[in-house]
Amino acid sequence: MRTEAVPSTAYDDLPYTRGGDVDRADLGGLVQSAADGDAAAWKALVEGLSPLVWSVVRAHRLSDADAHEVYQTVWFRFAQHLGRIREPHKAGSWLASTARNECLKVLRNLRRLTPTDDPQLLDRVSEDRTPEQSVLDLEEAAAQSERVRRLWQEFDGLGERCRQLLRVLIASPPPSYQEVSAALGIAVGSIGPMRQRCLRRLRARLEAGEAI
Amino acid sequence: MSGTHDDGVFDDEVSFNDEVSFDDEVSFNDEVSFDDEGFDTALLEEELRQAAAILDAVPAPLRQLAVEAYTLHDLDARIAELTFDSLVDAMPVRGAAEVPRMLTFRAGEVTVDVEVSGQGLMGQVLPPQPARIEVLGGPQPGVPLSADELGRFAGDVPPSGPFALRLRTGAEVVVTEWLRA
Repeated sequence: MRTEAVPSTAYDDLPYTRGGDVDRADLGGLVQSAADGDAAAWKALVEGLSPLVWSVVRAHRLSDADAHEVYQTVWFRFAQHLGRIREPHKAGSWLASTARNECLKVLRNLRRLTPTDDPQLLDRVSEDRTPEQSVLDLEEAAAQSERVRRLWQEFDGLGERCRQLLRVLIASPPPSYQEVSAALGIAVGSIGPMRQRCLRRLRARLEAGEAI
Repeated sequence: MSGTHDDGVFDDEVSFNDEVSFDDEVSFNDEVSFDDEGFDTALLEEELRQAAAILDAVPAPLRQLAVEAYTLHDLDARIAELTFDSLVDAMPVRGAAEVPRMLTFRAGEVTVDVEVSGQGLMGQVLPPQPARIEVLGGPQPGVPLSADELGRFAGDVPPSGPFALRLRTGAEVVVTEWLRA
């Protein structure tokens, strides 16, 4: 089945040291419990992995409507396959690659329905994102809000590859590199170096902005 | 999108100081979060993570829907896996805007062909047999349809968003893999 297609397992035996290891440690157990009828385990899976699925969808810059539908499709299919997933401890990668496949289908369909290959149309920015407003709602100090807003703005202005990679990496809790690999179809071994470069680039943008 | 992963990271304007190649020296699991300039990448990543949590979190109703999706877990049903999707497997038809989406699902010897268009949904269960069908759109109950003696069925409401078909044929229940219409 195509949604089971999880990328390279070359690094699976290496220790995973990113911050999410506590949350990810018992993924297999949670999947098993949920399959056995434990609704609380299912809820824990949703709480722990929802941000990853959302990040993958966001990384692909779908419209809000498409993003919502892909997110739902992924979770409905996961519920449907619960108990049949071959490697329950890799549920995060399963969700990430399923989300990626559905995102790519949406993008392919947009292209098919679009007579031109105008990249603008394939790169729609969601309509209702108003970071400024959300920040205003915060009770935090104005300076900190400004910092968050600027950070997000510079992040959003990064090249597409960097923006995409970082958007998945900053899911909370932090995804494993196996999950990132499944989310974006890139080799596990290239994620670290790319991450480093993209964060350097982001920092440079922030510093350039401050200098003005 | 297949081409986009092949080119380098440097797909936009700024050319970075590339004096060091990171490809060999940075361990992939970032044990060392400081790079050669003493720049704490882990800190910036964490700051960005917090920004995402504030500015682009999972919408609460969506998360709730995922929690409710637990009821879609049905071990008694057989899953009919998607084996053909015109969106992926067919050559695009240039100039034809309204091409119906053709889908084929298979569970063992049972095949379900489905055609989704702006006018609705039609299809056939093979081998031909009557079936009670439910068009699901989420955890809530779906829209009932029935397949005739030849296994043919049709509904005049096109599915929008995620959908699946639950078919009862004799003693068996088959559910198609969830898809986005």
